Amino acid sequence: MAPTIQQQVFEIIAKQAKIDISTIKPESTLKDLGIASLDAIELIFDIEEHFDINFPEQQGANFDSDTAQSLVDAVQKALDEKAAGAGQS
Amino acid sequence: MATVTTRRVVITGMGAISPLGVGAEALWQGLREGRSGIRPLRHADSERLRVKVAAQVPESFDPAANIDERILPQLDRTSEFALHAAREAITHSGIDFSRDGLGLRTGVVVGTGVGGETTQDEQSRRLYVDNASRTHPLTIVRLMTNASASQISIAHGLRGPTYAVASACASANHAIIQAAQMIRFGMVDAAITGGTEACLSYGALRAWEAMRVLSDDTCRPFSANRRGLVLGEGAGIFVLESLEHAQARGANILAELAGTGMSADASDIVMPNPEGAAMAMRQAMDEAGLAPQDVDYINAHGTGTQANDATETRAIRLAFGAHADRLAVSSTKSMHGHALGASGALELVAAIGALRDGVVPPTANLDQPDPACDLDYVPNTAREMPVRAVLSNSFAFGGLNAVLALKRAP
Repeated sequence: MAPTIQQQVFEIIAKQAKIDISTIKPESTLKDLGIASLDAIELIFDIEEHFDINFPEQQGANFDSDTAQSLVDAVQKALDEKAAGAGQS
Repeated sequence: MATVTTRRVVITGMGAISPLGVGAEALWQGLREGRSGIRPLRHADSERLRVKVAAQVPESFDPAANIDERILPQLDRTSEFALHAAREAITHSGIDFSRDGLGLRTGVVVGTGVGGETTQDEQSRRLYVDNASRTHPLTIVRLMTNASASQISIAHGLRGPTYAVASACASANHAIIQAAQMIRFGMVDAAITGGTEACLSYGALRAWEAMRVLSDDTCRPFSANRRGLVLGEGAGIFVLESLEHAQARGANILAELAGTGMSADASDIVMPNPEGAAMAMRQAMDEAGLAPQDVDYINAHGTGTQANDATETRAIRLAFGAHADRLAVSSTKSMHGHALGASGALELVAAIGALRDGVVPPTANLDQPDPACDLDYVPNTAREMPVRAVLSNSFAFGGLNAVLALKRAP
């Protein structure tokens, strides 16, 4: 079975933060995981590259309060939008 | 310990190419009227880019105007801006470098964040996209970071210490401080200095997009709804002289560059630190012999990012204590955008204008107060008020801070 989006996102987080994947919980914030500032921007980049998606251009994402689950949700949303866009064209 | 004699440094000429037009007066008039130079991005690749707005020098700017046509092929856009602004500043000051060998005792220090980015991008495209096997033969001459300083030196016969200074968004202020110190310690009698930047290339815009610090609508410094910085471009160039030199030739003195402060945060490569910024502001005031209550206006770094504006507010409180609540603070980046290595130079035009005319330019687009930004930012409309002394802040990625303290002409 293909890994779920959550598994894939958690793997990218674990690699970026150099932590064991088992320590990541859906409710963990990026701050809890020790990911701040440039690390968070790199993480977003890694996720975008992995899924071939673009997160919206909103500046100032709140890395203190954003959770691992919120990243999973954002990936799902971007993939859904991409699929819808592909269906229309 | 040997006694070091130091000299006072004054500014006697200014020139600018900016999103608000050609000339320092066009820039200052635009700022005091609260006009914005931020527009939809003009770019050959704008359809592909996510960045939608920028503060660009208007298309009416003619790089070839009054420039020797044999020199033109040597120039990247950064040097075009710098040469035009330098000529304006030198004409404005009425200084004559051919007299009494003054050219031998005049230095040139120009700040730029990245130098000839447009050239680099064009030539890389030739190689990697068009599969060309050679670049333009003047590629190196155009893109070298010192090109602007060298072109000014050649155009005006200036043979003193000449070089570029690079410290990202603080480049212009660091350059101006270097030039001032050469005069202060007697190495030269005059200096041409400032900053220039023109890096709105496809590659650079993509790099800024990836960093997620760009606003998608406009620049709203200190406003709760701020969404990031808006990239700009341009140049500001100044004539600095020792006070005695300026007085001896009967020059019109615009302002005294009375103090300077430089520091490094030594903490994070991008996140600013209020202690480092406050240290540079204190140094500038100390060197100028200013107490906090002597300062009426701060031209803030004020980029419009979440991190800068709240941190700069804390830094001003650290440096000024109770007087912070009596200061007028504004970010003119809300109108001329963030010209990176040129930004401190464009902002020095604003600082001089405020001192000279008794008018503080506003912070445009400030419509939602932010509890983390609780100073008087002169929202949206300029304010007429007596201005005795000004600080002009520049803080750079890399944690580098450079602050100028200005007083009225003696």
